[in-house]
Amino acid sequence: MKQAMYGLILFIFLILPPVATFLESIMIIHMHMQMPLLVFSGFLIARFFQIRFPQFFKNWNDNGIPGMLLFLIIWLYWMIPKAMDDALTLQFVEIFKFFSLTFLAGVPLRDSWGKLGSKAKSIVYVFFTLKFIIMGYLYIGIESQICNNYLIIEQRTLGWGSLAFAACFILYGFYWVFTDQSEFKTT
Amino acid sequence: MDKNNRTKFTIILVILFGVGLFYFGTDGFRVYTAESARMYELQQNKPSIPNVILQDSQERTYTFDQFADKKYVFITFMYTNCGTVCPQLELNMRDVYKQIPQKYFDKDIAFLSISFDPSRDNPEVLSKYRTYFESDGDTWRMARVNDPDELDNLLETLGVIVIPDDYGNFQHNSAFYFISKNGNLLEIMDFTKIDEAATTVLTYLDKEARD
Repeated sequence: MKQAMYGLILFIFLILPPVATFLESIMIIHMHMQMPLLVFSGFLIARFFQIRFPQFFKNWNDNGIPGMLLFLIIWLYWMIPKAMDDALTLQFVEIFKFFSLTFLAGVPLRDSWGKLGSKAKSIVYVFFTLKFIIMGYLYIGIESQICNNYLIIEQRTLGWGSLAFAACFILYGFYWVFTDQSEFKTT
Repeated sequence: MDKNNRTKFTIILVILFGVGLFYFGTDGFRVYTAESARMYELQQNKPSIPNVILQDSQERTYTFDQFADKKYVFITFMYTNCGTVCPQLELNMRDVYKQIPQKYFDKDIAFLSISFDPSRDNPEVLSKYRTYFESDGDTWRMARVNDPDELDNLLETLGVIVIPDDYGNFQHNSAFYFISKNGNLLEIMDFTKIDEAATTVLTYLDKEARD
């Protein structure tokens, strides 16, 4: 329950207008810090819902796939350049961003990841790695401005940021494959 | 519902939600950037051009309507200090200009390059800049809009976004704007597709000539 509290505090901190405005003023921070932090706050808050409504998650997200799908959809939605621009210009889209990333992405992610089989986990993992590579490639390569609120140079920075993420994912992937995970399992 | 069916049901629900979300977010899978959304909306609404006061390279001052004088107007937005896209934009505009038969310039069409950097692009600068692109300063004029409010309103109406950067330059979207004889936006065209733009313009002019 304690972490749900921390999650809520983080969430409230993130949606404070000055904090939000600051984080959104830089493209890479908007996408690679504010958005993941919102997901993370939902990830922590999930504990509260899991304890309060265990039956709901058991009923509707038994094998983790619906939840993971919801998480992926929400995350991908916020990768659309127009969605990011809309969040900056339309108040209700901004509110939907806070709500969706926290409660429709962060919460189901927490509940789903552990339930997924190793095959599904690998698919999600590879999917994210590819997504970061493709996004990095696109954002570095595109000559025109994709977001009206950000300059091309920021777009490039974001592209390199995505590639850095991809590199981390690949490194960790190797680590995951080539080490004996059972050594670390606590039973 | 047993567990398996319930999971399937939830998956379908989530996918439907996703489709709906993407549908609304992209105006029915049509636009993925705010820029294309604006363009789409502009082409649908065909806003009329505000009657701004222009000052051209020969220090003549007139309103947009006086300049247009019931002609089609072909417009680009630029600033002369621009080292990247504007020279290309204006060169392409020149290539379109050259494809228009001279007879149409009497009373059917006018070309206009509008600077959104009026503080630096005074008539003197513009009259020099114009020569680089073989603009004659008459059938193709280069002008600035001095009043900041009028300029903002004009840019806003036509969906031109200009963001100043830290080095005295501007980041801006570029296109060919084609205005009807009664001052409504007709077309926004890709400025890299010169022949396509010229064909579109000629279609309007030829049709007019025939009627």
